[in-house]
Amino acid sequence: MRASKILSIVLFWTCFAMFGQNKQLLYDFVEIPQSAMINPGVDTDFQWYAGVPLLSGMSLQAGSSGLSVNDIFANDGLDINDKIRDRAIYGMNARDELSGTFQIELLNFGFRGKNPDNFYTGGMYIEGDAIGYWFQDYAILAFDGNADKLNQPFDLGHLKTRGEMMNVFHIGLNKKIDNELTIGVRGKIYSSIFDFNSTKNQGTFITKEGVNNIYSSTIEADMQLRTSGLNGLKDASDDGTLGSTITKRAFFGGNLGVGVDLGFTYQLSDQLVFTGSLLDLGFIYHSKDIKNYTLNGKATIEGIEIILPDAAADPNADFWQDLVDDVEGFVPFEDNADSYIAFRPTKLYSSLRYNFGEHVDNRANCACGVNASSNRARAKYVNSVGGQLYVINRPRGPQVALTGFYQRRFGNFMSIKTTYTIDKFSYSNVGLGLSLQAGPVNIYAMADNLLSYGNLADSNYASFQLGLNIISWGKK
Amino acid sequence: MLSCLTLFSCIEDQDFNQFDEIGVTPTIEASILYVEAPESLVNASTQTNVINQEFNFDAFSSDVFSKRVLDGTITYIVENTTESELSVSIELLDLDGNVLDTVIIPVAPAPMEMQQIDIAYGNSGRSIDIIKNTSSIRVEATNVSGTQSTSTLAEPKVILKSSGKFRLEIIQ
Repeated sequence: MRASKILSIVLFWTCFAMFGQNKQLLYDFVEIPQSAMINPGVDTDFQWYAGVPLLSGMSLQAGSSGLSVNDIFANDGLDINDKIRDRAIYGMNARDELSGTFQIELLNFGFRGKNPDNFYTGGMYIEGDAIGYWFQDYAILAFDGNADKLNQPFDLGHLKTRGEMMNVFHIGLNKKIDNELTIGVRGKIYSSIFDFNSTKNQGTFITKEGVNNIYSSTIEADMQLRTSGLNGLKDASDDGTLGSTITKRAFFGGNLGVGVDLGFTYQLSDQLVFTGSLLDLGFIYHSKDIKNYTLNGKATIEGIEIILPDAAADPNADFWQDLVDDVEGFVPFEDNADSYIAFRPTKLYSSLRYNFGEHVDNRANCACGVNASSNRARAKYVNSVGGQLYVINRPRGPQVALTGFYQRRFGNFMSIKTTYTIDKFSYSNVGLGLSLQAGPVNIYAMADNLLSYGNLADSNYASFQLGLNIISWGKK
Repeated sequence: MLSCLTLFSCIEDQDFNQFDEIGVTPTIEASILYVEAPESLVNASTQTNVINQEFNFDAFSSDVFSKRVLDGTITYIVENTTESELSVSIELLDLDGNVLDTVIIPVAPAPMEMQQIDIAYGNSGRSIDIIKNTSSIRVEATNVSGTQSTSTLAEPKVILKSSGKFRLEIIQ
């Protein structure tokens, strides 16, 4: 039992460590500097902040929309092959996914400019992102085969996956336009470590009654896998230079890209706030260490076909090899080193927040107050409640998550935010975030899908974020 | 917070030893060989052998197949629209030309019912090693009646169709 629990935890926190990207707990959590990373237009009141290198922001998210560890490995006396067949092979569909992301901040800082309405941010972080949709028809073909499935097409488009790892350098400006509106923009340079994607596959494999022979097998494929950096990493691993190779690529030694984040906060009234942000509107141009693979064409075979007497004309004819050559000729598997552009998975956040209850004194170095006509940073309320929208662009189209939240502030010392989120991973995702401010030291921690902790192995989704910052409000 | 959540979390009993019991054994089927001989060839034969030809067929002996095949069936179908009575023999040969298996199909003259024979390999059938070692197929058709065919049907011919249906062990 102990070993099982340890293995489950390892599986939970590592193998499945890449799912979802929604940071609904951190979004608009204005007490935490990292909230600016998901809305550059956040309403911030800091004079400056500095994240503790490597500890300022760490996030890991994991999830599978169709299957959990418990579904397959529960000690329930059922045959595991039946569970795989019922719950995975035929229980999931091609829209189910195994996806996710991680981010580790290497450097993060922000400071207010001479113009106190301007707040500048900068830093860099490592990000990994991957998604793999359930390749259902491939799984059926591998598990059951094509026998007794006459006229049933197997969709080769079910192979749809992408993944990448990169270092991101960023610099941003958060500007308070007036008492109602704050906008922000952040420029990014992506320094790619590796990338792979195979997202535009089309085609079918089908077995039908043959025209001449008993069966005809037809494959029609238009498939492509593009990779960048993987071969170099393999070579580096063989040479024992993996660390230096990754470091070199992370600091502009690999393929580069650019992107931008946009965001705003608009004060609809003293108590009602509307926010929005658009993240990672950008791309990476991959031109180094490229290896792409293609399978393109159509072929129908009915075994070796011998039409006499013509076929007997050449006594040395090798009909089997001719058949193999024909298939390879009609559906060639080829590779190339063509450059390509990979767009980042763009994310959209939006929220509507209603503040109520007593006021919390603002720490900003200004004459702030709820009713101040030109204050730079508004006083906060003890309570906030609202809703959030999250959309991410994925290979099978946008994914949406809806969140309801409640935030409670305990003076300027502590703030707690709890969320309830509905998305394709879970309808019962309750999260909790905590920000503690001890003098200039800010510590925050957040965890998701808390109800699943009753049986971790049965969870489809989990995430956590934590960080450590030093914050100053500029007051003497 | 994360540590607390992990420490105080629960996990229902999981049995990861089940992983060893996972078996992936798909059954695949496809056509193997199609041979067609027109009536003119039947009649042109100076001897009784209408067809006697060996065809290279490496699909069975390739590693990707032979190391995974568990059992299966080969189906032969013969159609004869000539007026000659034939005997069709199919031999599976290894790389050295040794005969591993022989299937003989008597074929009545037209009008005839389609003649189908299913040969099982593995389990209670013939040895699966026959399939694993098959490198070529020899087809021989003999004019048993020894008479000339004068069929009034359009394009009279003798046709051999065949397909295989095999269960493979991908993971065990």
